[in-house]
Amino acid sequence: MFYHISLEHEILLHPQYFGPQLLEKVKTKLYTEVEGTCTGKYGFVIAVTTIDSIGAGLILPGQGFVVYPVKYKAIVFRPFKGEVLDAVVRQVNKVGMFAEIGPLSCFISHHSIPAEMEFCPNVNPQCYKTKDEDVVIHAEGRDKA
Amino acid sequence: MAEKTVCISQQQSKPIKILKWKVREGITIPIGRLLLLYDFAEPKKAEQRKLKSTKAGTVYKIIAREGDTVKPGETLLELKACCHPTIMNDMCAECGTDLRKDDITGTASVPMVHSIPDLKVSEEVGRADCDRLIKDRKLVLLVDLDQTLIHTTNDNIPPNIKDVHHFQLYGPNSPWYHTRLRPGTHKFLNNIYDYYELHICTFGARNYAHTIAMFLDPDQKIFSNRILSRDECFDPTSKKANLKALFPCGDDMVCIIDDREDVWSHALNLIHVKPYHFFQHTGDINAPPGLDKHENDNKAGVDLTKIKEKVVLNTQDMKDQEIQITNGTREENVKILKAESEKDDNNRLFLIIKGWFLKGEAGLSVKLTRTRAPRKNKKSLPTTRVVKKNLTRWRREVTKGDNSKRNETPSAKNCDSDASTEKTVEAEQDRNAEAQSVEPAKVNNVAKTEEATPPKPSKDPAQEAANPEDGLIEIDDPDDYLVYLEEILKRIHVEFYEHYDKMESGGVPDLKKVIPLVRGNVLRGCRLAFSGLVPTHIKLEQSKAYQVARSLGATVTQDLEDATTHLVAVRPGTAKVNAGRRKRNLRIVTPDWLWCCAERWEHADEKIFPLSGKGSKNRHPPPHCSSPDHAASCADQGAPAPRKRTPSGRFMDTINPLMSFSSADIADMDKEVEDILDDETDSSEEEEGPPKERDVANNSSSSDEDLSADYPRGYKRRRAEEDDEAADDYNSTEDESPSVKFRRGESVDDVLDIDRDSDRDDAQDSDGSVDPPDEVDDGEWNMMGAALEREFLSNN
Repeated sequence: MFYHISLEHEILLHPQYFGPQLLEKVKTKLYTEVEGTCTGKYGFVIAVTTIDSIGAGLILPGQGFVVYPVKYKAIVFRPFKGEVLDAVVRQVNKVGMFAEIGPLSCFISHHSIPAEMEFCPNVNPQCYKTKDEDVVIHAEGRDKA
Repeated sequence: MAEKTVCISQQQSKPIKILKWKVREGITIPIGRLLLLYDFAEPKKAEQRKLKSTKAGTVYKIIAREGDTVKPGETLLELKACCHPTIMNDMCAECGTDLRKDDITGTASVPMVHSIPDLKVSEEVGRADCDRLIKDRKLVLLVDLDQTLIHTTNDNIPPNIKDVHHFQLYGPNSPWYHTRLRPGTHKFLNNIYDYYELHICTFGARNYAHTIAMFLDPDQKIFSNRILSRDECFDPTSKKANLKALFPCGDDMVCIIDDREDVWSHALNLIHVKPYHFFQHTGDINAPPGLDKHENDNKAGVDLTKIKEKVVLNTQDMKDQEIQITNGTREENVKILKAESEKDDNNRLFLIIKGWFLKGEAGLSVKLTRTRAPRKNKKSLPTTRVVKKNLTRWRREVTKGDNSKRNETPSAKNCDSDASTEKTVEAEQDRNAEAQSVEPAKVNNVAKTEEATPPKPSKDPAQEAANPEDGLIEIDDPDDYLVYLEEILKRIHVEFYEHYDKMESGGVPDLKKVIPLVRGNVLRGCRLAFSGLVPTHIKLEQSKAYQVARSLGATVTQDLEDATTHLVAVRPGTAKVNAGRRKRNLRIVTPDWLWCCAERWEHADEKIFPLSGKGSKNRHPPPHCSSPDHAASCADQGAPAPRKRTPSGRFMDTINPLMSFSSADIADMDKEVEDILDDETDSSEEEEGPPKERDVANNSSSSDEDLSADYPRGYKRRRAEEDDEAADDYNSTEDESPSVKFRRGESVDDVLDIDRDSDRDDAQDSDGSVDPPDEVDDGEWNMMGAALEREFLSNN
């Protein structure tokens, strides 16, 4: 499921960036450090939408690095147990299938694939299908999991 | 599989009445699955409640019936606990249990999907595979990529050679790779696909393997996802370890094609393929560690492509005959060799490289037009020497052509085959040509000299401009090995299923037995005798040629007998040959015939390999014509531990430790070597040698001779003296490698002196201990010397 939530992050900035472009640097650093990451709590951070505030920087004694607490809003993708998602099937084999849900790649064991769907190794591409071929799962296709 | 049964019991404080079961026996349930609907036995208010499973597993037995009243603590149903047959990243794919938490050991141990080593399944899941293959009447074929189906280089090559794929693996600034598919690869794959389930098994990185797979099989029909790459390899030097994993129920139905035997530990189900070599100066870029990609250098047959060729010849004007060489490597895009052959004494060979369609198949034809036989500048450069030394590869044959010059117009590219091509000297691998090859070494020498030395020609920018990129260069590649390979594989398939049909018990025949059997049918019924092929100090049974012949099913006798069908003779004039000439039913052939049979697994036509006046110098089989029977038996004998490469990988370093030994030590060691050599057969040197040496031997018969101590050096010299043939002469006289020099006591490099000194030590001051026979250590040192020499030259 997707959420638009407020998050916080601390940016550690090297003194070489101290100067007129300092805040710009903080922002770009936030994008690179945060987007594409994944945490157990919030899931995948898809994109930072707004940067709400960049707090006062704190210079670390002895190092010269400065720490900026940044508050930002981001779109996150957090899958839940039992959630139904669209996935792109990447690979099908006898053990099961591999699918991608955006940044999330997942493996679906053939145990979890309905028993009436059989694995057909000799057709191209390999697939799982029901007897009457109503439903066919094969790579690159679309699949509801 | 240890089956644990667990019970799910009634956990409520009051008795409950089961309204409806929501599961049935035999199904697998995860944690949290709805089991049944119930209500309390004496409800104040009728209500359906849900009972969910607290455990995962397979429902084994439902104990409580619908409508029953169950008291607290009584058992509702029995579950068979999940044995975790499929595990992905430490999580059971069936019940979702985190296997890191508990000490649960799943039965899954087999990473069966090539590209996803994290996914493991139990052996039982793998077993279904075997049945499916039998049902489809298929076998498994593991296909190696580099030098088997393709040849890849990361050298600079001209961008416009036909049938070469160019790609980058690691982003825009990464090195370019250039891959040439072996001729007929697509046809081969498509044909063989009906009989085999193909797997790629390569030492290349994953994305390399996948990229190549896209070239080979754009629809992913043939290989699908069955790609095993270096990333998944358990052992960086052997592919053998993965076999068990990929085929948990045994490799009985697995056939392997590879150009290297060592990575499969000389498995019996391996078909040793003739290595495909297209780009010069590049061996296997994905060779196992310890071998750099140049290890197999210089012995490329066809590849005159290193001089990036673009040839434009002026038809009308002989004097303006020009060879235009596009050279991508040195950023001199176009080089023009302007050679007016009549005037220029020093010149030499014209390398005319020209492409044309051969029977609709694009290929590469490398032509040498020889104007005058040059011998002058032979000893000019060390590089030249090295190159020359490596020339004698047996399969690199050059048909003799006349010395007249050729003119080819650019338009010749598209003609089928013009008459003049026949007269040119063709550098080609075609074994059919071998028999006629009279002075291949010489011609090659000259050709290589031309190549190896930096192009002398004058540069002419104007000419460059005048010669725009006019499309792709087509290159006629004479490699046709895949045609034979396809035939071999089909025969194996037929043989396997014939055996299978005969087996009533439903058992499966073992390809490790079937393949040698198929091999043994090749020359069945032939009785061979050798002449000049096996050195006198080696027993016939221990010679390589004998083993090759035996593995092909032929019978070999020491002397000519009435029943003898073939006499394999190295040169004319021996007693056996003379005696054989009088026999009517006897065919006298060169060893090339035998090697050809071994390579193609078919009874080659003897007519192509007549014993000519010059004889043949291919006394040693090409490395890919091995006899796996023998290989296996030797592997079992616990061969001496292969010499390890030093961390630095430089051969020089391997010598230094020796310096700390006293001469007595060294003599002892030599004695040991001698013993081993006595015990094992001469031809078993392939197995004895450390892998790297074996590999050197693998690819050129000349380096084979020089490096692998196949025959002790002393023997060779003796032979050479007996031999008044020029072909052998060059070994001892023309071939002025440093190793040869230092043995003669001439001054060589300082480091080499070390060698020489120890060498002498062995012979003279060995403290009365057993004097090693000169031959043995001579060969050893010679091998070292050659390796050193290579190292020096590569540094230069």
